[in-house]
Amino acid sequence: MPDTEKDIVLEITDVHKSFGDLEVLKGISAKVGRGEVVAVIGPSGGGKSTLLRCATTLERVDSGRIVIGGDVLCENGSYCDKKLEKEIRSKFGLVFQNFNLFPHFSVKRNITEALIHVHKKSREEADDICKHLLEKMDLVEKADAYPCNLSGGQQQRVSIARALATNPEIIFFDEPTSALDPELTKGVLTVIKELAKEKMTMVIVTHEMSFARDVADRIVFMDGGVIVEEGSAYDLVTNPRQERTKAFLAGY
Amino acid sequence: MQALQSTLIQLVQGLKFTIGIFFFTLIFSIPLGLLVSKGRMSKIRIVSVIFQLYISILRGTPLMLQLLLVYFGPYYIFGVNLGSIQIGPFNYRFIATIIAFTLNYAAYFAEIFRGGIQSMSKGQYEAATVLGFSRMQTYFKIILPQVVKRVLPSVSNEIITLVKDTSLAQVLSVTEMFTKASAAASAQVSVIPFIVAGAFYYAMNLIVETILNRVEKSMSYYS
Ligand SMILES: Nc1ncnc2c1ncn2[C@@H]1O[C@H](COP(=O)(O)OP(=O)(O)O)[C@@H](O)[C@H]1O
Ligand SMILES: [Mg+2]
Repeated sequence: MPDTEKDIVLEITDVHKSFGDLEVLKGISAKVGRGEVVAVIGPSGGGKSTLLRCATTLERVDSGRIVIGGDVLCENGSYCDKKLEKEIRSKFGLVFQNFNLFPHFSVKRNITEALIHVHKKSREEADDICKHLLEKMDLVEKADAYPCNLSGGQQQRVSIARALATNPEIIFFDEPTSALDPELTKGVLTVIKELAKEKMTMVIVTHEMSFARDVADRIVFMDGGVIVEEGSAYDLVTNPRQERTKAFLAGY
Repeated sequence: MQALQSTLIQLVQGLKFTIGIFFFTLIFSIPLGLLVSKGRMSKIRIVSVIFQLYISILRGTPLMLQLLLVYFGPYYIFGVNLGSIQIGPFNYRFIATIIAFTLNYAAYFAEIFRGGIQSMSKGQYEAATVLGFSRMQTYFKIILPQVVKRVLPSVSNEIITLVKDTSLAQVLSVTEMFTKASAAASAQVSVIPFIVAGAFYYAMNLIVETILNRVEKSMSYYS
């Protein structure tokens, strides 16, 4: 069915990845449709971050195929040319656990720098986009502040705005609230919920089970480098089938 | 009184060479230091070993010895006489001084820059990469400005040392301030010229420190 195929934003097929002798991804396959929100859960060391890093070109897979927005990033472990890879990079955004904002840039410049110097937008256009995003993140008054003067929650919202600025087709989040004090997580989760309502395509690695259940359409449970179980968010959380999933969820 | 006046005149004549050595060394050794630090961090083992050796030797032997080697080396080792070379107002003594100082200070700067570059978190590179910045953009927009802030205190130390080290050019009879002071001291049989020279070096470093403090302050808007 070509129509549904066209609406697959991310397609990962049988991806393997080792660090030296340690096989971290042991054949991962997954699809994410446009507008879908997929939460990835699982114990630490299970390969969740590595999977995200492979999908966002920060790690090279050993074998398998990754297609983003219809462009083939890699096939049988061999990668597309640099030009296409650069194009693919403009199709996704990545939000890091520890933000990785540029400390020497103001909030505004963190958001607009890539728009102006990578996407060749005019400064006015970039400023408009920035203003709109800061309104959405409830950070308008922080446009000229520097990251070091913001709370962790505010910094993470800036980094979400930075990822959204280039209008990507999909955004990846790697434990976006894990570096935050509990009272600061709420603002970040609220922003992500808003994005879900707007039908933003998202893949979110998270340990916030109730958030995953509420916001995600689908949950993928990863452990030991494989996808152990996946299903609709509500079903997987309330009625897991695999023993490992049950054991993991019992801890929450 | 007359002695003091003639001392001052001589020292000021020497001062322009002192300042010349200072500025030329800075202008050449900082970019060279960046290149050397790149070489030192090369993933190609042989390249990194060569630069490591370079740094180790230039930091591990006296600058005075390096000055003598650069000046006399070409003649005694290769039989090439460069003594008559003149580039604009600069004779070979002065040029050899600049070469030796540049090679020596580049080694120190290289290690400082390497420390600064390696202290940058991987996350800065990764954030820049996924945003689509090219390697050049990442280096010049994201990494270098932060490295400059981090290395400034150590670089300041070297710059202050350089002001004083210019006096080593005396060994090649470059007519910089210290050479002039020595000559005046022995002619007058007096330590006054040395004391005046000391005051000049200190004044120069006061200016250098003031400027560096300003620069440091201008970058203190973030941490
Ligand atoms: N760059 C790396 N080099 C070596 N081992 C790594 C590297 N990155 C991750 N690993 C290992 O891969 C495994 C999976 O890590 P990770 O993907 O971070 O898991 P998760 O995000 O699910 O906690 C861990 O055992 C980790 O130590
Ligand atoms: Mg992780």
